[in-house]
Amino acid sequence: MSTNSTVTESLQRAASELLSDVNIAVIIGYGRNGESPFSHPEFVRKPEDVERLVFDDRCFGNLAVYLSKDAIRRMGKIGIVVKGCDLRAVNVLLREHVVKREDIVLIGVPCTGQGDPLPHKCSVCEQRNPQGCDIVVGDPVEQPQINAEQKYSDAADIDAKSIEERWEFWSGQLSKCIRCYACRNVCPLCYCKRCIIDKTIPQWIETSAHLRGNVAWNVARAFHLTGRCVGCGECERACPMDIPLSAINQKMAQLMEEWFDFQSGLSSDEKAPFTTFSMDDSDTGIL
Amino acid sequence: MRSTEVDEQTLYQATAGWLKSAVDTLKGAGVEVIAPVEVDPGVIELAVIDSSESVVLDYTNVRLPLKRFFFPITEVMMEFEKQTDGDVLMKSEPLASPKSEVVVLGARPCGVAALEALDKVFHWDYDDVRYSARRERTTLISFACTKPDPQCFCTAVGGSPHGTEQSDVLVFLKDDGQALMQVCSDKGAKFIEQLKDVVKPAPAGTKPPAPPEVKAMFDPEKIKTWLDENFENDFWTDVSLKCLGCGACSYLCPTCHCFDIVDEANWISGQRRRNWDCCSHPMFTKHASGHNPRADQASRCRQRIMHKFKYFPERFEQIACVGCGRCVRACCVGQNLVSILTDIEAKANGGNNSDAE
Repeated sequence: MSTNSTVTESLQRAASELLSDVNIAVIIGYGRNGESPFSHPEFVRKPEDVERLVFDDRCFGNLAVYLSKDAIRRMGKIGIVVKGCDLRAVNVLLREHVVKREDIVLIGVPCTGQGDPLPHKCSVCEQRNPQGCDIVVGDPVEQPQINAEQKYSDAADIDAKSIEERWEFWSGQLSKCIRCYACRNVCPLCYCKRCIIDKTIPQWIETSAHLRGNVAWNVARAFHLTGRCVGCGECERACPMDIPLSAINQKMAQLMEEWFDFQSGLSSDEKAPFTTFSMDDSDTGIL
Repeated sequence: MRSTEVDEQTLYQATAGWLKSAVDTLKGAGVEVIAPVEVDPGVIELAVIDSSESVVLDYTNVRLPLKRFFFPITEVMMEFEKQTDGDVLMKSEPLASPKSEVVVLGARPCGVAALEALDKVFHWDYDDVRYSARRERTTLISFACTKPDPQCFCTAVGGSPHGTEQSDVLVFLKDDGQALMQVCSDKGAKFIEQLKDVVKPAPAGTKPPAPPEVKAMFDPEKIKTWLDENFENDFWTDVSLKCLGCGACSYLCPTCHCFDIVDEANWISGQRRRNWDCCSHPMFTKHASGHNPRADQASRCRQRIMHKFKYFPERFEQIACVGCGRCVRACCVGQNLVSILTDIEAKANGGNNSDAE
């Protein structure tokens, strides 16, 4: 584990300046707890507390999830530390009018990946240098060229299976689901005040952790995130049962790119395929 | 839960290869055997086994807690079906017992100790027949903990890596395949009797090994004194800020026992099921009126701590936590129960909290 002291110092300086500006109520960044295997979300509200902020190679979390939380929003204007992947989620929140651009200050951090070994999403990241932030701390980093084959390799592994093998694989994986909904709660784009799973009149999706209910839940999750998911991988990281949810997310992203030439979250003013109509749209299904 | 004093009369010596003999003997007698196996790379889970070959002995703890074999993630309570004459036929699901006996071979002492809390809840104002039947038919053979990890804190909540609470037999595995066994109950004595070819009384003077060190990081009694006075405190808002209410901590907790009852049906027939639930979710307390007495994450985080370290001890004279550390390991935002409790203890000791008095 290594702390990037140059970036951390710049970050603390920027945070201190922002908090001294009366308009910024809270900086959402990362902090360290000695024994923890990763750097946790940290909320800094006073300039004298900025030394709690760090940036290292264990900043796994996507802090954009906090932008839709009432307890945070009530504080006032928010400064938020974003890696490139996190920024994509912020862009979707802006696009969907969950947050207003004037209510947040984006503190971008160039990032070469989190963890050792790097997770797949980091090794194929095309957003190492976040674009369009208010402040960038740290120097730009090299951005390797990534092709579609690399990006969607997990989805390809599953596509290579026969229909029967795929069902065997997914029914095995989804049988493990204990319906804790960590995947939903950690997702920056699952901000519904009332999730479909919590709607009981009628109960659209069975809440029991049997295969039928688990498949229904995971399919509903995928449907609601297709064309929106930015592939940050938080759902898979949060899943206590190690279900490979990123493979589903990859497939969604792959189809959106192939059929609509669309990647979610690259900008905040993009037109999302599901909320726009074009005569050129493919008439194939999405799954 | 402590096992500092061991009666030599209860110690037995098992020869190398005892595990295979045990599994074969039990299976031969029609007993269902549950043991730790590797289900995902590096992930150990308790599961029904066919032979001793798949049993894993070198692990810290299993992913899902032992409680699921007594209080399943989902279970059918009743089935109903509409008849052609318009009546509805209802039938209770046959109870778990007396299908077959079950032996859990290789639970950890903390997971087994957690059943004491569940026993109290499920036998409290109502005897939960499903839970009781499963509990009754099951013999619990614990494997003494040899490598607690930094997230373990059993000693802080009255436990021990060699705790015998609720265990029928505590097994001390040896590297050479032999084992020392401590009988803790009549069920345990029956288990030993079944294995008499490979398990003999230990020679006089035999002592169980010393338990590995697990540092006690806080004092629950001090914590309770602070909780008693601080239902309303800004501390709850502060600790809840990063909590996403994801529920992983509760679902993996060996003592959490809240459930939801749902009906699942088509036009003709259906089932009433009992499913694990979680106090971190807003829906858990939402009333039919729309009012929610725990409307924010701060009140839900407070409930989780209060229930384990104040309400449960007041009602059942026991902490609803065995220090297994699953909640700490599972939390995706690094919420750490031990950190929260040590902060509370500091406040109770007159630390940096002005509201504590």
